[in-house]
Amino acid sequence: MSIYYYLSAFLFCLGLLGSIFKKDLISILLCLELMMSGVAVLFVLFSKSTGFLDSQLMVIFMMIISACEVAIGLSLIIALYRKKQTIYTDDIKIITE
Amino acid sequence: MYLNYLANVGRYIPELLLVVLMIGIIILETTYAEDEKNKKYVFILTCVGLVATFASLVANMSGKAEAIFSNSMIIDPFSTVMKMVMVLGTLGAVYLSTISKDIYESLKTEFIIMAIGVLIGGMILASANNMLMLYLGIETLSIISYVMASLKKNDERSSEAGLKYALFGGVSSGIMLFGMSHMFGVLGTIQFSGMAANIAKLDHTQMLIMMPSFVLFFAGIGYKIAAVPFHMWSPDVYEGSPTPVTTFFAIVPKLAGISALIRVTMIFFLTPSALRVGWVGLMMIMAALTMTVGNVTAIGQKSVKRMLAYSSISHAGIMIAGLVMINDIGVRAVVFYGITYLFMTLVAFYVTSIVQDKYGNDHFERFQGLIYRYPFMGIVMSVVMFSLTGLPPLAGFVAKFNILNALINSKYYSLAIILALNSVISAFYYLKIVRLMTLKTQESNEEIEGFGFLNQVIIIVMTAPVLILGIFWDSIMGLAEGAKIFIK
Repeated sequence: MSIYYYLSAFLFCLGLLGSIFKKDLISILLCLELMMSGVAVLFVLFSKSTGFLDSQLMVIFMMIISACEVAIGLSLIIALYRKKQTIYTDDIKIITE
Repeated sequence: MYLNYLANVGRYIPELLLVVLMIGIIILETTYAEDEKNKKYVFILTCVGLVATFASLVANMSGKAEAIFSNSMIIDPFSTVMKMVMVLGTLGAVYLSTISKDIYESLKTEFIIMAIGVLIGGMILASANNMLMLYLGIETLSIISYVMASLKKNDERSSEAGLKYALFGGVSSGIMLFGMSHMFGVLGTIQFSGMAANIAKLDHTQMLIMMPSFVLFFAGIGYKIAAVPFHMWSPDVYEGSPTPVTTFFAIVPKLAGISALIRVTMIFFLTPSALRVGWVGLMMIMAALTMTVGNVTAIGQKSVKRMLAYSSISHAGIMIAGLVMINDIGVRAVVFYGITYLFMTLVAFYVTSIVQDKYGNDHFERFQGLIYRYPFMGIVMSVVMFSLTGLPPLAGFVAKFNILNALINSKYYSLAIILALNSVISAFYYLKIVRLMTLKTQESNEEIEGFGFLNQVIIIVMTAPVLILGIFWDSIMGLAEGAKIFIK
């Protein structure tokens, strides 16, 4: 496997760990994007190694959809910020057992 | 050759109808938003559109199963039946949204628009035949669901629910894509049938890559159907969202996820392989965990809505248990379970929603003495609770019995025992409502406006299948039997 495999795995793990451990919502969204780009690199890499173009098709759709997801996520963050005046996950715990 | 797309459109009419309906309602809403009176036209149009969709699905049943749009989607009896159940669920949720006070008056049309959007996503998911369509279906379903969960703009609980849902969804779809990319890397195609054919040719190392990939792939679907350990979002989202939205979430995305899971399981693992053993093991663990965690956690809940959320987790577990044996008997049992689950959940949520609208919360105490004030509603709620527990002669019993039967047929005794024990645990919290309704005296004599004559009739009509399917289940079982999966 080429160096690009390690690059994509690194990006994916960075994004996954970041989205789990980060405390502010904007960083979590950024980490989600990082995860997506890691996967996109992997898809293109596999397209090159297997010689089929199907996965490049997936990358294009992935980019569109992750853009939608971030747009929705940002708008939800803003909706919450209007009421709580904070974007830190520790301060936003309204629903409990 | 390229005109094949147009030739296939005939089989795709239900989805197209829904798209037209969604756009039509958006236009109607922007045109008539000022006048309160026009709200009812929107509702009538929605009903007509959904009934037309249902009718075209029925028409689709009779045609032969085929793959459409360059083999990217499959129209077969199985997907059509699941779509019919989803359309009925949407219709129920839409009516609940018009009578519920939990959704702001100005946002009721928005609810309908988004519900139809989610329904389209669910339909794509139910007939997806390659990775791309599966991913698109899940995302269409999810992205609109995030907004639906935070529909109560001024309630911070609702906003939190939506945000939690969005972040969980983003992470799990990322993990699913990571699994998919490895599956593509090893198998070299995104078509399900092509992948299934290539699985047989794998060598030892490739098999070792595939196993974790399938687990990662399951994370995406498991999150949509709230299988343990991907269930953490579900109670919070169910509790935070408005009740009609919760009703909708308990039915449409869950059944769509289940149908995608059934298709994936039936296509990839029909032939024996090392992967099949691993997948069956994964399904067994997931089913057992999902049932047990859902039921045990439901016991301690104060809010009925949250209890129903946990109970829907456990029902997803039971449906996963029907997939363990990977044969037609299991699929039939799961399809039948989905149909009964639709009616039971709708009635339970309707009564809960109306009681909650009256008192402002949905704690168990609010149900005290309901049967003395509204005998019909008390009886209906008791019937549904007995049916959810799985007692004869109700539909829930037949559904559970079928899954148990399929499990024992294929000699999965341990899972069958876990399922039976879980029914006993679930009796505790379901029958708690029945006890409160019948044995306690009522708190007040106030009238509950939601239980008007029309609503009572509608709720009773929705309960009728629960009673009828418990005894005369032949025809619906025949429908589920005919819901064969077409592989191409």
